[in-house]
Amino acid sequence: MNYKNIQSLLSTSQNKLSRWISYFGLGIGVLLLLCSMQMFVNIKHLLKENNPRKNGFDFISITKVITNENMGKDNSFKEDEIIDLKAQPTIEDVAPLIANQYRVKGSAGNIIPFSTDLFLESINNDFIDSVPPAFRWHEGQTDIPIIFSSDFLELYNVFAPSQDLPQLSDKTISSINIVIECYGPQGLQKFRGNVVGLTERINSILVPKSFMDWSNKYFSGVTSVNPSRVFIKTRDANNPDLLTYVQQKNYHLNKDKTKFGRIKKLLQSIISGLGLFGVLVILLALMLFSFYLQLMIAKSKDNLQLLLTLGYSPNWLSKTMASTWIPVYIGVVLVSILLVFVLQFAFVHFLFAEQGDLSYSLHWTVLLVALLLLFLSIYSNYRMVKKELYKIG
Amino acid sequence: MQINLKEIVPSYFERNSVTNSEIWGKTISFDEGSHIHIVAPSGSGKTSLIHFIYGLRKDYSGTLSYDDKNIANFSLDLFSSFRQTSISIVFQDMRLFADQNVRQNIEIKRQLAPYHPPEKIEEMANRLGIGNKLARITNSCSYGEKQRIAIIRSLMQPFKFLLLDEPFSNLDDNNRAKAMELIAEECAARKASMIFVDLKELDFFAGQRILRL
Repeated sequence: MNYKNIQSLLSTSQNKLSRWISYFGLGIGVLLLLCSMQMFVNIKHLLKENNPRKNGFDFISITKVITNENMGKDNSFKEDEIIDLKAQPTIEDVAPLIANQYRVKGSAGNIIPFSTDLFLESINNDFIDSVPPAFRWHEGQTDIPIIFSSDFLELYNVFAPSQDLPQLSDKTISSINIVIECYGPQGLQKFRGNVVGLTERINSILVPKSFMDWSNKYFSGVTSVNPSRVFIKTRDANNPDLLTYVQQKNYHLNKDKTKFGRIKKLLQSIISGLGLFGVLVILLALMLFSFYLQLMIAKSKDNLQLLLTLGYSPNWLSKTMASTWIPVYIGVVLVSILLVFVLQFAFVHFLFAEQGDLSYSLHWTVLLVALLLLFLSIYSNYRMVKKELYKIG
Repeated sequence: MQINLKEIVPSYFERNSVTNSEIWGKTISFDEGSHIHIVAPSGSGKTSLIHFIYGLRKDYSGTLSYDDKNIANFSLDLFSSFRQTSISIVFQDMRLFADQNVRQNIEIKRQLAPYHPPEKIEEMANRLGIGNKLARITNSCSYGEKQRIAIIRSLMQPFKFLLLDEPFSNLDDNNRAKAMELIAEECAARKASMIFVDLKELDFFAGQRILRL
């Protein structure tokens, strides 16, 4: 048994236009969907490297919003508020930034004639982007390792020339000995500060937690300090639940840290929209083709009915009829893949060739979706023909 | 294979109007290898009975089964497998593809479950006097020719039962005899049964099982 024998019994030549429109529509839909999928992957890849994430997490600082009403009041985070933050499903972990509770003064000794009041803070090492091995302190040690904010260094370098101070590079700052003077009821104690690393993430002057705990107790007698800001670790800083929670609690979120995430989100939303449009076009094309099939079956109803009466099984007929269009569907999907490949090639070659971090080839998920679409189209035709044949059988 | 009819009555018949029938409302079995001649006047449900047995219509009460399988529960695919290998039919209204030529009409059945080689089509057509009509479009054939095409088509497949619904109504005595001879040969070769319905008794079935509908 083969299709050739029964082909002349079916009115396949009817409605050629709607058949060709449906092929064209399917091609456009598949192209849109595959293209947007590939762009989605490209954007994810491109923005990954600029995103200040660690192991797939966002680290963001939260403070309480200072308003005219709460100015001068205690705006630190209480223990129950930190517990509540930790309990949020969108927040993986919380770490308070503990500040010094005594006066600190810093100077660069005789090399750079510069002296200023300072503040020091400490945080769990897990929240620091890179922790150098030297970043540790034990009681009795006069050297304090410091992790300095890159932003602060930048600020210093901006105003240094006008103050006749030398500008400092990332490397030279680590060779400067900073004299740290701590004042307490027992009087003044001097330490030697060494910058052992820079941080992009935390705008502060960080010292080891062991030093902060000891010094707060030693110089001001305070054993537990409520932090004014906390850092949260989250999988997605753009999660609407998180943003709603933060807003409800009247906390201030460092939005700048999620800049890339937001750009990515925006671009991916646009591309998702495009992909969704592609899916819609595919559905419309498949529907149009199913109308064509329905019409063909309706016009060939008498012949099909007789074939079924003679003993042709609806299962065989639907399989055979649906498989007739397999080469056409393969052709449509292959042309779409080829076009997406050309677009990807042009995108990488003309826009991102120098960066060299985007692949010319298509992502495997794109090819997988193309295969799935092919299967879906053939299967939907098979189901439709079978349903119609059972109706007339 | 056995075809069993248990108290079958067409749903459009009054039950008390079929008391004289030897088939309607009775329990009756048709065994493989035996020939059954069913005789009845017009309007007594001959074609309905053939269609019920072939599974084309279900507007009856009672149970109709192939062996012990009630055909009311058959899927279209299961009917197809029976129609390919176990039950063949000659319809009263022939049911041919009008736009196809004679050979194509026969070949489409032969290819479904080939019992004979393609050359057999020519041989049978010659025997029934339509050998020179094989390339002709069926629509242009006479009723008698169409009836012979339908008969040859029904003989192209393997079967255990051959259902014949007034298959000679448009044939003269000479062609009728030739056709009956061919059908009888083919049934014998397959050790198959024929269920033959007609308006009046045929000589061929003299001394055999004749039922009145």
